[in-house]
Amino acid sequence: MSVKFIKETDFNDFVGKMMEARTVVGPVAKKTKFVFGELESVDQLRLDYDVTILPPKKLFFPPRQDLLKFHGQKGTSCICPQPKVLFGVHYYDIKAIDQTDFLFNENNADQNYLANREATTIIGTTIQNVSPRAFFGSVGKNVNPKGHDGFLTRINGGWVFETLTSKGRDLLDFGKFIDADDAQKAEAAKVNTEEKTKSPEKIKAEGDVVAQKVRKSFSEDELWEEFAKDCFSCGSCNIVCPTCYCFDVQDNWNVDQHSGARTRSWDGCLKADFAECSLGQGACENFRETKGSRFRHRIMRKAVYSNEKLGGPACVGCGRCSLSCTADIADPVNVINRIVEG
Amino acid sequence: MACGTCNCNSPEIENLFMPKEALITETKWMTKDTKHFVLKWADGSKVSHQPGQIVEASLFGFGEIPLGFATSPTQENSFELVIRQVGRVSTALCKLEAGDTMLIRAPLGKGFPLDELRGEKVMIIAGGLGIVPTRSLINYITDRRDEFKSFTLFYGARNPSELLFKEDLVKWRSSKDVHYFETVDGCCEEDNWKGNTGVITTLFKQAEVTPDTKVIICGPPIMYRFVMMELYKCNVPHENVYVDLERRMKCGVGKCGHCQINDKYVCIDGPVFKYSELDSKEEAL
Repeated sequence: MSVKFIKETDFNDFVGKMMEARTVVGPVAKKTKFVFGELESVDQLRLDYDVTILPPKKLFFPPRQDLLKFHGQKGTSCICPQPKVLFGVHYYDIKAIDQTDFLFNENNADQNYLANREATTIIGTTIQNVSPRAFFGSVGKNVNPKGHDGFLTRINGGWVFETLTSKGRDLLDFGKFIDADDAQKAEAAKVNTEEKTKSPEKIKAEGDVVAQKVRKSFSEDELWEEFAKDCFSCGSCNIVCPTCYCFDVQDNWNVDQHSGARTRSWDGCLKADFAECSLGQGACENFRETKGSRFRHRIMRKAVYSNEKLGGPACVGCGRCSLSCTADIADPVNVINRIVEG
Repeated sequence: MACGTCNCNSPEIENLFMPKEALITETKWMTKDTKHFVLKWADGSKVSHQPGQIVEASLFGFGEIPLGFATSPTQENSFELVIRQVGRVSTALCKLEAGDTMLIRAPLGKGFPLDELRGEKVMIIAGGLGIVPTRSLINYITDRRDEFKSFTLFYGARNPSELLFKEDLVKWRSSKDVHYFETVDGCCEEDNWKGNTGVITTLFKQAEVTPDTKVIICGPPIMYRFVMMELYKCNVPHENVYVDLERRMKCGVGKCGHCQINDKYVCIDGPVFKYSELDSKEEAL
């Protein structure tokens, strides 16, 4: 659409004006880490963040989301999207949002996600600091982010703002933007190319080779049990993953014991009972009973199962799972490299 | 209808999770823990499912459970469900009686491939509660008997008191429309059981199964591999075998991940699968 420039000295004024008009969610500090949170003041915004604890999917697919409310046996839908600007998303997280957009839309369109997504304007930004476990430069290299409405790149003296949709262009009204010149555009392109080389960890094979070799390793039960030996089955790797979207659905009563809500909450395939079924008369069957089988399922989902429909792996290399895993066994780089290197 | 969250009067957006009301017209305990329900849609609509498709049945405040339709769409004005009391939701649903309302999302998933079964010899092997979803096909075949060649049914239960659809069994035992064979795993003297005793595979001695038979299997997880071994002996190719799988189908719309087997979601890609589609998928059977 258009490529604009805003001076560093005008940038906070732009964010402030946008906040007056819109609800803006962006990276903010939480003790020594970062989270996506609703901005209350301009100086809270930390576009120099490395990675957030939870991915931005929580805006469209909250950790707990009421699907229906009920009074007795009468239900009402809870889909009520609130317009927001999601500001300052790294490119790997935009790629993850592209995947959840596709997955919640395919087969049966789930408006509980899609309506929130539609109401959100997403502005991406350059990775200024890199998370210590990130590997975004070596995964899904052929897949480019596409679902955002604009992208901000920090260059000398200010920011280049590329608007990609009308939702992104609308934000130009809030700042003193001028057309970017060729030198500024070239500098922005260079910054964005270079950022992809900065992730410290590296998967040592291309996506299709990884998919083939990981799929082939399915029957190596001993290997998978070894990978998962120290797993606590806590599901933290699932919870922090920007492309995980499994959930549980539970009904909860209000205090009146008459009304309540049917609510979905994030679930994870690493949890021990995730694939368990009651068969009646005290019997049950767990279709992924061992830690190794659950660990394998996650890696297969990320590296193999969905590749065809997503056009690449269902992992974007953010490194959040590696950071969150208490036993430090979740890192896909270690698992995949060990498999591809035999 | 206004938005349920903030009464903002925004236009209502279709919600996949909104159930429809079904009115219960009859109920009957089939065993001490398993109840039979006859229902009709409260809005008067006719049934529109295929044999083998599933429903998510619920009561607000308790939750949803996946069930198979127990009736064929040839029965147009009502449908039947069978619920075994196992957990919180099924126990609550089993307390419902005629005149009560059950909440249903249906039809979900893919059922039996009728186009591939028409004009063929069909055999159904049902163990335990597996008779419930396969009854949707059994009734379909017996209602449209001319469309199929020979029809054989194996049914096995744990003991005689666990046999479901006893009125149907009486009909099937004497019917010319179905070659019916039954067995129980075990029985005691009071059961006065005169039929076959032993696991379901013992019935293979009594029936002739030719390689061109289309075979449908539905039962407890342990049953599949032993039945497949028998079908192998009868030279039935994998392409002719269909399995109706049970998984924890929580959302029923291919999103929540609980029923995933490799790249398949049982709730939308199944619950009925061609065996040849699954034999490379390690966690399927």
